[in-house]
Amino acid sequence: MITLTDFLVVSVALFCIGLYMVVSKRNAIQILIGIELILNAAILNLVAFGKYDKVNNSGQIFALFAIVLAAATTAVALAIILNVYRRYKTIDPNEINKLKD
Amino acid sequence: MDNFLHSIQSLNYTVAAVALPLLAALINFCMPVKSKAAGWISTIAILLSCILSAKVFATVWNHPQIHAQRIWFTIGQTQVYAGILLNNLSVLMLLLVSVIALPVHIYSTAYMKHDDRCSRYFTYLSFFCFSMLALVVIDSLVLFYAFWELVGFSSYLLIGFWFTKDKAVQANKKAFIMNRVGDIGLLSAIIILFAQFHTFDMDTIFAGKGLIAQAVIKNGLWAGPVSQIPAIWQYVACAGIFLAVAAKSAQFPLHTWLPDAMEGPTSVSALIHAATMVAAGVFLLGRVYPMFTEMELTILACIGCFTAFMAATIALTQNDLKRILAYSTISQLGFMILAMGVGAYASSLFHLATHAFFKCLLFLVAGIVIHQMQHIKDDNHLDIDPQDITHMGGLRKKLPVTFIAAVIGALALVGLPLTSGYLSKDGILIQAFEWSDGRNVWFKIIPVIALLTSWLTAFYVARLIFKVFFGEFRLLKTKPDVKLHLGDGNWPYTLPLILLAVCCLFPLFSFNPLSYERAWLFEGLRSSTHNTGESIYHSLVPISVNVISLLVLFTAYRIYAWESGFAFSQRGYFYRLSYNQWYIDNLYKRAIVNPVLRLGSACFWIDRTVVDGLLHLLARISGAIAKLAAWTDEYIVDGFLHLLAALVQSIGNFARKFQSGKVQYYLFSMLVIVLLLFILKILI
Repeated sequence: MITLTDFLVVSVALFCIGLYMVVSKRNAIQILIGIELILNAAILNLVAFGKYDKVNNSGQIFALFAIVLAAATTAVALAIILNVYRRYKTIDPNEINKLKD
Repeated sequence: MDNFLHSIQSLNYTVAAVALPLLAALINFCMPVKSKAAGWISTIAILLSCILSAKVFATVWNHPQIHAQRIWFTIGQTQVYAGILLNNLSVLMLLLVSVIALPVHIYSTAYMKHDDRCSRYFTYLSFFCFSMLALVVIDSLVLFYAFWELVGFSSYLLIGFWFTKDKAVQANKKAFIMNRVGDIGLLSAIIILFAQFHTFDMDTIFAGKGLIAQAVIKNGLWAGPVSQIPAIWQYVACAGIFLAVAAKSAQFPLHTWLPDAMEGPTSVSALIHAATMVAAGVFLLGRVYPMFTEMELTILACIGCFTAFMAATIALTQNDLKRILAYSTISQLGFMILAMGVGAYASSLFHLATHAFFKCLLFLVAGIVIHQMQHIKDDNHLDIDPQDITHMGGLRKKLPVTFIAAVIGALALVGLPLTSGYLSKDGILIQAFEWSDGRNVWFKIIPVIALLTSWLTAFYVARLIFKVFFGEFRLLKTKPDVKLHLGDGNWPYTLPLILLAVCCLFPLFSFNPLSYERAWLFEGLRSSTHNTGESIYHSLVPISVNVISLLVLFTAYRIYAWESGFAFSQRGYFYRLSYNQWYIDNLYKRAIVNPVLRLGSACFWIDRTVVDGLLHLLARISGAIAKLAAWTDEYIVDGFLHLLAALVQSIGNFARKFQSGKVQYYLFSMLVIVLLLFILKILI
């Protein structure tokens, strides 16, 4: 029997891996992947807690919305990365520091 | 009314006569130093002064005095007047000074022609004449003192005219300092007189019925019409006046500046000795004469007599032409002071006037002789003193006009009949004998010494004349190859000599060549109470003076002109006493000059070590304090500020690190903070 705790542990693991990636990776694409991981951890949480909702399958539906939104945001993010690359010829976030004082 | 107009006119003439030399001095001062016109400007000014003075003299002489004054300034209740006082005494001096100055100016134009600073010379000379002319006509004691100082100052300039000569600088310093001693006396006398009489006006104080005549000394008090002060002040005032007279008129003990003053140009010596400088002292005595009491006059007579005798003995052995004449001046001034002391007021001033002419003449002669000797020295590159009479001799053939003038001047100085000197000097001697008659037998010493002095005078004058003008030219004996071309010089040299020589003869002063009492000058100055006594002295004194003088002259002629080989011993005590001028200079040097110099160097040492040392110590202390302050400023104050700055900078740098522009870093920081918040929340 898979309990809620197991889901939450997987979710926390995903979240932490995503967070680590966002903080440490030197490539914007990988950071984007990290963000996706964090998003998926949240979606997993939605699905896991959806079992306790009064309305049936509302968690799963909400997760579907979230996945769609994530796809959209990923598209936007990829477009941004593409534009950044065009301008700076790199996608290493450490190199892109024009906002520095 | 007519009288009034006359006096106004006389006053205007007087002011013009006094101001003209000053104007000339100012013009010359503005001219370039080498200008040759300066001499003529000064000469014309003094010529005009002379004419104006003569007019004033003609108006005022033997007429009531003219006195004009106006308020000069007011202090509190005291009004101080200043003005012009013209009486017989002042117009006589006015005329005398300008008449003597005129030939000196003419002579100077030639004498100073080749000097580089000719224009400066005439500036000083005119200024000198101005000071003296103003001195004789002024009526206020304060202004009198001012001009007295100016006379001293301008003589200082002229004595030190050749200021590159060390001796000239020493001489003018000496003259100035010795005159300062007298000036202090005069100043204190003026202050005392003002304290007693509350006025500076000489006419009010010293006139016949003036304040001083009303003041009496009794019970140790000097009671005047205005106030009374202890009698001691009267003596102090008289001593002050005497000091002033002694300094200016070169009386013992302040006479030593006059022989040294010979370092100036000879024409200046002529002026100083005849009319301007030394006459000021006798003139002052004439002005303040009523002030002296019987006893003070006796002291005056003693000092005058001593000075006359001492100077005459010194003049016997000197070899410097000008120095002999200088000592003879001191001697004759001694006669004048003696005359004042014995009450022969008129004779004293009479002698001043006659002496002015013949002494001026003798100095101009000396100037010509020295000039010629200087030429010989320069032409032949000799190393001789041009003033030393032992080199001279036989000049009577080479310088005939000069010789005749010198003989006339010398005879007047000796006081032989038919000259002016006879009239004035014998007058003094006769009156000195008459004065001593009514007194203790000891008082006879004074006229006897005066008599002796006039014989000594005959000897030194004869020595001078015979050594310079008679015999052989001595320089040729020692240096036979010397080439000579001598001459009297052109008219600026001879004209003054002739003028003055004529003035040395009796007709200028009296138509009776034998009686001084008939001289107009004497009659104009003597007091009405003077009794023309017919004492035995009137015949005895002149005869004894002249007979013995003639004998002395003849002896001197035998000794010096024939060159008989006879010579006085030069080792005797008296010879050394006389040759070293009675050791008075040495005494002053030991007793006054050296202690003062030592005091000066002691003060210098104290100044250098103690005062300067203190200052240096102070400087060093403040330097150290400053260094400490600088160190404090640099390391403590600045250090604190630097610390603050560094602190702020490091905080800033620390804060800057967060603005690195690295997105992940921001994100990481946010994460850390959120985690920290959570941990804190759990802990608290």
